[in-house]
Amino acid sequence: MDPALHSYIAEETTCSDGEVIIEEGSRGSWIYVILEGSAKVKKRTPKGMVTIDILREGEVFGEMVFLEGGKSPRSASVIAAEGQARIGLLDTQKLIDDYEAVPSELKTLIRSLMLKLRNTTSKVCSIIVAK
Amino acid sequence: MRKDTGQPRRKKVLTFEKGELIIKQGDYGISIYKILSGKVKIFRTYNGVEVPLATLEPGSIIGEMAFLNKDADVRSASARAMEDTELEVFHPIDLVEKYAKTSAVLKIIIDQALSRLLRINRFMDQLAVRSGEEISHQKEDPWSSTREFYRKEVDIVCQYKPAYRGKGSSTLLTGRIKDISMSGMCLEVPPGNESAIGHEVGKSFHIDVVLPNGKELNVTAEIVSVKKQPGNVRLGMQFKELPDYYGAKKTLGFFLMPT
Repeated sequence: MDPALHSYIAEETTCSDGEVIIEEGSRGSWIYVILEGSAKVKKRTPKGMVTIDILREGEVFGEMVFLEGGKSPRSASVIAAEGQARIGLLDTQKLIDDYEAVPSELKTLIRSLMLKLRNTTSKVCSIIVAK
Repeated sequence: MRKDTGQPRRKKVLTFEKGELIIKQGDYGISIYKILSGKVKIFRTYNGVEVPLATLEPGSIIGEMAFLNKDADVRSASARAMEDTELEVFHPIDLVEKYAKTSAVLKIIIDQALSRLLRINRFMDQLAVRSGEEISHQKEDPWSSTREFYRKEVDIVCQYKPAYRGKGSSTLLTGRIKDISMSGMCLEVPPGNESAIGHEVGKSFHIDVVLPNGKELNVTAEIVSVKKQPGNVRLGMQFKELPDYYGAKKTLGFFLMPT
């Protein structure tokens, strides 16, 4: 893992298989990183839960709400997979300081990227369900 | 496309007529646009098929992905004006300097989000693949392409029969698929099947199976390995070209999505 990212880890937690780390629809803007193990990204659909991605070591998740400005509910659930997963919680204050230093034009671009990620994720999910 | 010179300095506005291409997938470019009026369709082209990704309205940003992507300044998708459209062009050079000063951790997080989006977009290509004339002439063999599919462990009863004509070619046999991927499967059969028909390396079979998601899959596969175990025989099988090439690929693609 990148040392800069590692230095932002404020807390570590161990999750057992199937434990919900982020619940879709809930409020929160923490950003996490997988230190060990893996996690599944799932979305609720009329036909049940659909897995849309698998996250592995070193992958950051939960960034969408934070980078959109922290107002939206969580767009998907993240659930620990493959036995135990060790999860790092990134220092919110450091991230807020960093984000505040970003010029507004760049924030616009970052928000746009997050919006595309959110919309594309929903779209892929609805295509999977429709099939 | 015409330049509008009536705007204040540093705010450059471009006008595109309905149907005009704004960005072409694969082109180099890091210019960023904001839609002021009109409507823009974002799409990818994959194997000659247009894969729609989004329709963007005024206020939306186009082109930020290539800008934020540190690995490539190639456009990952095309953008076309669906109505007469006015776009404001950002000044990427100013932004490049500003982005360079952004915190390393934020950039790592953004990079990862971007690769996730690019990965989902490529996956949309897969979903959009459909049987049709426009892609049937493709030389590239999608079965052997190294796409992000997994070998999935399963336990599905299937029926199979020899893919050749001759003695025993109409015999319907039963086996169990133990795992399956885009390129092949492991088929477990009772030892008795071997006495009915030869199961040597090189023999091909038609396999008919209803996947747990309810979709029927018909494939032809060739035996590439035979492993005898107590009580059963495990056959390593590789898929061969099929009449319903793209249909089968699509069915299997859906089924093999990570769950």
